[in-house]
Amino acid sequence: MTNNDTVANGAVKKESSTSPLLEVKHLDVEFTTDTGHAVKAVQDSSFTVYPGQWVAIVGESGSGKSTSAMSVLGLLPGTGKVTGGSIKLHGEELVGKSQKDYEKLRGTEMGLVPQDPMSNLNPVWRIGTQVKEALTANNMDVSREKRSSLSKSLSNAEVELKKSDDELFISSAEREGLLAAAKKALEAAHVARLDQKMENFSETWVAGSQTRWLVAQDLVKAGLDDDTAWGIAKEHVTGSSMDDRISGLLSEAGLPEASTRARQFPHEFSGGMRQRALIAIGLASRPDLLIADEPTSALDVTVQKKILDHLRTLTDSLGTAVLFITHDLGLAAERAQHIVVMYHGRVVESGPSLEVLQHPQHPYTKRLVNAAPSLASQRIISAKQRGEDADELDKLMEHHAKGEDILERGEHIITVDHLTREFKLPRKKEMFKAVDDVSFSVKRGTTLAIVGESGSGKSTVANMVLRLLQPTSGTVTYEGEDISTFQGAKLLDFRKHVQPVFQNPYGSLDPMYSIYRSIEEPLRIHKIGDRKSRIARVRELLDMVELPESVMGRYPNELSGGQRQRIAIARAMALDPDVIIADEAVSALDVLVQDEVLRLLNDLQAERGLSYLFITHDLAVVRQIADEVVVMQNGRLVEHATTDEVFDHPQMQYTRDLLDAIPGGKLQLGLD
Amino acid sequence: MGKYLLRRILQMIPVVIGTTLLIYALVFALPGDPVAAMFGDKPINQSVAAQIRSEYNLDKPFIVQYLIFLKNALTLNFGETFSHQPVIDVMGRAFPVTIKLAIMAFIFEAIFGVVFGIISGLKRGKWYDSVILVVSLLLISVPTFVFGFVLQYFVGVKWGLLPVTAGSNPGFFDLLMPASVLGSVSMAYIIRLTRSEVSSNMTEDYVRTARAKGMSSKSVTMRHILRNSMIPVVTYLGTDIGALMGGAMVTERIFNINGIGNTLYQGILRGEGPLVVSIVTVLVLVFVICNLVVDMLYAVLDPRIRYA
Repeated sequence: MTNNDTVANGAVKKESSTSPLLEVKHLDVEFTTDTGHAVKAVQDSSFTVYPGQWVAIVGESGSGKSTSAMSVLGLLPGTGKVTGGSIKLHGEELVGKSQKDYEKLRGTEMGLVPQDPMSNLNPVWRIGTQVKEALTANNMDVSREKRSSLSKSLSNAEVELKKSDDELFISSAEREGLLAAAKKALEAAHVARLDQKMENFSETWVAGSQTRWLVAQDLVKAGLDDDTAWGIAKEHVTGSSMDDRISGLLSEAGLPEASTRARQFPHEFSGGMRQRALIAIGLASRPDLLIADEPTSALDVTVQKKILDHLRTLTDSLGTAVLFITHDLGLAAERAQHIVVMYHGRVVESGPSLEVLQHPQHPYTKRLVNAAPSLASQRIISAKQRGEDADELDKLMEHHAKGEDILERGEHIITVDHLTREFKLPRKKEMFKAVDDVSFSVKRGTTLAIVGESGSGKSTVANMVLRLLQPTSGTVTYEGEDISTFQGAKLLDFRKHVQPVFQNPYGSLDPMYSIYRSIEEPLRIHKIGDRKSRIARVRELLDMVELPESVMGRYPNELSGGQRQRIAIARAMALDPDVIIADEAVSALDVLVQDEVLRLLNDLQAERGLSYLFITHDLAVVRQIADEVVVMQNGRLVEHATTDEVFDHPQMQYTRDLLDAIPGGKLQLGLD
Repeated sequence: MGKYLLRRILQMIPVVIGTTLLIYALVFALPGDPVAAMFGDKPINQSVAAQIRSEYNLDKPFIVQYLIFLKNALTLNFGETFSHQPVIDVMGRAFPVTIKLAIMAFIFEAIFGVVFGIISGLKRGKWYDSVILVVSLLLISVPTFVFGFVLQYFVGVKWGLLPVTAGSNPGFFDLLMPASVLGSVSMAYIIRLTRSEVSSNMTEDYVRTARAKGMSSKSVTMRHILRNSMIPVVTYLGTDIGALMGGAMVTERIFNINGIGNTLYQGILRGEGPLVVSIVTVLVLVFVICNLVVDMLYAVLDPRIRYA
């Protein structure tokens, strides 16, 4: 890793004096609407990528960052068209090239790692087949490595290299023989710690990925003389087959048991594994430039960190430059040497990462720095605490009165006691424990966050607290009563006071219902008020979530993700609940929108004394909203403490891993 | 997979029993007395009528008649028609003709439907897309018999390109026109299905990924767009085989083909329970088996589908 870093840094320094790899100048991109209007998606944008460099384009959705990247690849969707400016790769103009010419460049010169691993692999082809396509499309020689021009120039300078035969890969058929020969030679040379060395070899000598000269180098390092080492390497490394190369590429991308995995279909892979397969595809033909379009935004933070670390090591060792598209400034600053900030189709700021982060010039960049969840360090202060409320004193008195009331009714509004939930797995005898003996309680008027990776059981807990799922054992109590005993009117009452807000604002609103009908529905179900009073109430609710009255007659597909999530919150608030269970309520949103929604939730809590059970995988969000944190792993509760304690003195290794995985967590900020 | 297949085959039993019972009841409930109709204009001889009734078990209660039919059907004895021909012989003559017709219609709709659909989907918004769309809409909205008669008049009578009717032992050219009429509506649906599948698959993310790999647009189209688009089309085609055989009734009447449709029509007119029920049972079996084959095929085409 450190070795690679120095290589990359050296590369950047060395190459920055030479010609740029990609040069985008005054780029304009337009889309044509159905009515024939031209919409400018990108205007007058310029940025440059040098060989081996990571450059990040940062901006919110719709800022034109993906559009810029796709116009480099010549893969603009629909009616998109480059209307001005120039894109130069290796000094060669790309604007105006035909699709045929682009086909020659794609894959070999520029690769893509796309955003959503779920939709970017064809479900009907095996993973290996889809990697193979990338190799055959560019007539890649699968038996030997193709070095990028940067990597070539580096190795020429540093190591005396290399007949092209030295770039041949190990094949899976020869691997056993090679290991045996290496062992024999090392034994003959009486090398110390033989077992450990052999173990290292069998780990690093991956068929279809490790080359002859690297094998020889390893053997020399292990203590053999040059001639013997090269002799063994020449005899036993004579080039790999297509299947070897496919599994070699997949294991380079960090996929374990790659040769078996290559025969599987995408649906048998997790999101992280698919993303690794996509990285393998993007790098298969050894492009000089890799365009990574939000490559990890659909993944858990811990997976995200692993994959980006891996991508970094891989591109550094191959000398590949990366154009990294992201909406998270923290992530960009941590990964890239250079940041380009885009806003409304324009580049508003660009410069070295730390420079941009610590001395943002443009107001939008400043906002972005403020909003970056990974960079925020404190719980949001509610509107009331900010002193914006006029009747502060009155409210305070009221709060007191409420406080006394609360004392009478007990401190904990929801208590979860030894909750366990088992599921039956297909073709398996033993039950799978999704939630294993979890206990915690939510204090009235506060926020408790449950944090964990996907599969940790946090959503299962939420479903049991909502009584959408029966626990296998253990109880959930609301206001001191076991919710499993609720029936009829009592259950309806419970449903009224405990409201959910779900992750996907696209899925949780009925597309056939108008916004008014969606918000009014709970009122109708609980038979509250008449038509007129309901309209008034919906108006009030929209006002509360800061949306104009005019959205009442509109439909979900006409609103943005953030607006939809506000609607979902308004709907949850319609019945004046005491508790809101938010299951990844902001995970699907852009950072700025996420920030707004979190503030809204916070203000509502302060105004109404709501209690939140906040389920998320993102510790950065937790820091902004929660009072207490419960960390879950594999169905078990591993840590439970106040937010400050968790962030300042995490007790468990798992919590520390989660904290480390927050992008940009260690970066220093200097805001003016 | 084996377990699933067995379960599906066992499920066919109640389906077949249910449908035959329903059809039997419907034929039984038809107005008019079939035996009286056999006498035509002649006065009804009560003793002869009674004899005929007992011969065909028409004097027994409905459910007993049905059970007798079922028992005989299990030994492939489907009884006799009113003209004393074994039902199995009648079906043996009629089915090959209809099968020939259905297969020709199937090939017609599969080839033209898929080809036009792909062209339309790939070139959406171009003029031939519009032409294909309009023609397919016409085929769907105009009833088969109208289209059949129009074609028969022009191609058969006026221009004399193809035989007007098919006759008793029809060959390839005799069936060419009936088959295209029979397959036309399904072809129109296949065009539309293929078109919408192709054009929606074109914008899939994995297609963009494939292009980003450097694949040529031809192989992207073949391997990623068409391969995925064919999944629902093949499903539709499979279920359509049964529909073609059952739906041949109108076409067979127009072109005077002595296939299953015509025989069934005559049987219904005469109120011949065993004949009608036998034919329908075979058709039901064809339907059910086609569905099973399609479901099996589905797993081959789409690896995400697994049977449990």
